[in-house]
Amino acid sequence: MADVKVKIRNLKKSYGNLEVIKGIDLDICEGEVIALVGPSGCGKSTFLRCINKLEDVTGGSIVIEGMTLCEEKNGKVHYAPEQEVRKIVSHTGMVFQQFNLFPHMTVLENLIEAPIQVQKRNPQECIVEARELLKKVGLADKENAYPSQLSGGQQQRVAIARGLAMNPGVMLFDEPTSALDPELTVEVLKIMQELAAEKMTMVVVTHEMGFARDVASKVIFIDEGIIKEQGDPHEVFGNPKSERLRQFLKVLLK
Amino acid sequence: MDYVIYIIPQMIAGIGVSLNIFVLTLLFAIPLGFLMALGRLSKIQPIRKAVEFYVWLMRGTPLMLQLFFFYFALPAVGILLSDFNAAIVAFVFNYSAYFCEIFRSGIGAIPKGQYEAAHTLGMSYTQTMRRIILPQVVRIVLPPVSNETITLVKDTSLVYVLAMNDLMRTTRNLVQRDFNMTPFLVAAAFYLFATFILTEIFNRIEKKYSKHVQQ
Ligand SMILES: Nc1ncnc2c1ncn2[C@@H]1O[C@H](COP(=O)(O)OP(=O)(O)OP(=O)(O)O)[C@@H](O)[C@H]1O
Ligand SMILES: [Mg+2]
Repeated sequence: MADVKVKIRNLKKSYGNLEVIKGIDLDICEGEVIALVGPSGCGKSTFLRCINKLEDVTGGSIVIEGMTLCEEKNGKVHYAPEQEVRKIVSHTGMVFQQFNLFPHMTVLENLIEAPIQVQKRNPQECIVEARELLKKVGLADKENAYPSQLSGGQQQRVAIARGLAMNPGVMLFDEPTSALDPELTVEVLKIMQELAAEKMTMVVVTHEMGFARDVASKVIFIDEGIIKEQGDPHEVFGNPKSERLRQFLKVLLK
Repeated sequence: MDYVIYIIPQMIAGIGVSLNIFVLTLLFAIPLGFLMALGRLSKIQPIRKAVEFYVWLMRGTPLMLQLFFFYFALPAVGILLSDFNAAIVAFVFNYSAYFCEIFRSGIGAIPKGQYEAAHTLGMSYTQTMRRIILPQVVRIVLPPVSNETITLVKDTSLVYVLAMNDLMRTTRNLVQRDFNMTPFLVAAAFYLFATFILTEIFNRIEKKYSKHVQQ
């Protein structure tokens, strides 16, 4: 049994009276690539954003690399102290649909900002490592460019490199290619595929069924705030058990 | 020309007073305006409401009225300020309200995604503000701050009503004494020169903070 990187138990999230996540259990194991799929509005983003506390859960517990981010005691959720939360969160990397690069910083500065400011690492060392990462995402010649001078695909690759620069235990992707043209989608997916081959632990919210089928080690179908189906991609897609998943796949493949 | 050289020393004294008001006002009003902008965006409602009220009050009444208030009304309730201090207090109170609104809209213009990205990288609130948000805000607020600053140069002449010997009053005294219009021209030249310098300074800062914006 591989190391459990993230342990999620009975996670619940409501916005006011609207219960979006209704109790999800999940172990994210080392080297796993999990594809999160499901109809629009089913709570995929919300679930992902609870993992790094972009949203506060309303119930359940989350443990990241052995550190408890939050836990439920007597029906009340307790988060770790703020400083601890920041440390735990920095063990996860996040890639957003809209990239969210820092526009006033060059590509290289984007990559070294948090390692230097948050991890207090040696700047020279960070620069060397950042250049390695840029080479990896195919942007070695862009270190001095500003985000506004890059294509969407290039920006997203920088964003991936920025996440990796923190040496996170798990990378979270929220529809990383949804804002991109098809040609640019390919270059981003290729990078993610390479990461998967290197056994990077990843959770990817995606509508790219090809990616989910060929790259993911596990597919999770979320519907109505719970995990409806999960398992091997070929199994889940080839042999859907619930009517909802059949319906979902039919719409997608149309 | 001889006359100009003759009046220059007196006018410089006036310029000194105006410049003093200008510098002190900026020095206090900008940080104060910034803090109030944070208050205006605070999650704590009473703070938000208080700042909102303050801004409404300060922007909704004439600066001249505020000058009179601090000069005449405060001594009446036992708070004694020298005329110079009364002027500074009025200017700082008034201008900080305007700066507050400028900073508030500047901070509000930064997309939520910037805060989220910083959060996922483990940055603290202070780090996020200092390293990520404020450098972007500076670029956005520079043009309106530049405007306010240039307005302030000319607004300093309002202390005229408090019988302070700023550039404006000095000028008028000279005109009345010598029956010569030249001091007006010299004063105008000074205000124009100050505005020119400020415009240059702000252009430079703007350039520095706009490196990343695609031409
Ligand atoms: N901040 C919020 N306040 C209130 N409701 C919200 C908020 N964020 C999300 N929701 C609601 O929660 C539900 C799940 O949203 P979420 O963004 O997680 O869906 P999703 O599965 O990511 O959808 P999509 O595929 O369209 O991105 C939706 O009904 C949405 O309206
Ligand atoms: Mg979503």
